[in-house]
Amino acid sequence: MTENTIRKFKWFWAWQDDKEEAWLTQMSREGWHLASLGFPGFYNFTVGEPSHYVYRLDFFTETKDYTHYLQLFKDAGWEHLGRWGGWQYFRILAQEGESPEIYTDPDSKVQKYRRLLAFLIVFLPVWNVVILRNLGSSVHEVLQFISFVAYIAFMTIYIIAVMQLIRRIKALKQL
Amino acid sequence: MESIGNLTRYLPLTEATCYIMLALTEPLHGYAIMQKVETMSEGTVKVGAGTMYGALSTLEKEGLIVKVDEQDRRKSYALTGKGQQVLRAQLQRAAILLKNGQASGMTREE
Repeated sequence: MTENTIRKFKWFWAWQDDKEEAWLTQMSREGWHLASLGFPGFYNFTVGEPSHYVYRLDFFTETKDYTHYLQLFKDAGWEHLGRWGGWQYFRILAQEGESPEIYTDPDSKVQKYRRLLAFLIVFLPVWNVVILRNLGSSVHEVLQFISFVAYIAFMTIYIIAVMQLIRRIKALKQL
Repeated sequence: MESIGNLTRYLPLTEATCYIMLALTEPLHGYAIMQKVETMSEGTVKVGAGTMYGALSTLEKEGLIVKVDEQDRRKSYALTGKGQQVLRAQLQRAAILLKNGQASGMTREE
């Protein structure tokens, strides 16, 4: 990291992508420009002049077509800043008052949340196996209890995420 | 070749999809389509990069367009025969709509 890079921690849940976009856009207004992504929740910013960067997050996990996907965004003027899992971070320099979008109709935005939802659902058994195996293999009662609490917390967040995404999809479909 | 009855399941196309297919009467890659759609529609229809990517995947999966070339990580597509039929059917619907609009006098400027 260079001197002008500052690391910041802020947490957003999977269903808060629009809040995250708004936050990153606001940070650029204040001269903090996203440079790269660190561990989940950590953002590296370069400090500079305030600018009208607009940030957009997409969800894309396909590996086979990834280069074509990135090329299309690049052609359209979007700078790819990095990814975290399937989350793709893009930005574009906008005119004052303009708010460029990567999704220009509700149907295609629904597809984005469907991909995310499918991803969550497909990986649920995997996560379950990982956590439950830890739970079963812990000998100590305290450790077992902690694992159990972690498991309940994880499942609660998981269910909230699925419900929030379904709510988002429903709202978009009514447009 | 599918019958017209089967083709109606693709209808109605959204305005954006209609323009994308119309742009693909000549082979083009994603960004070129975005630019052509904006010009053709006189700026009334803008297709974002995410929407464009999704539309191309869907249309390709449905066999309405086909990849014809690939250069520098850019895939070019063109309409298939089935795509042409679907587009034609959509344009006929649009023509009927416009005819009704004209008959009602709603298309005239105030």
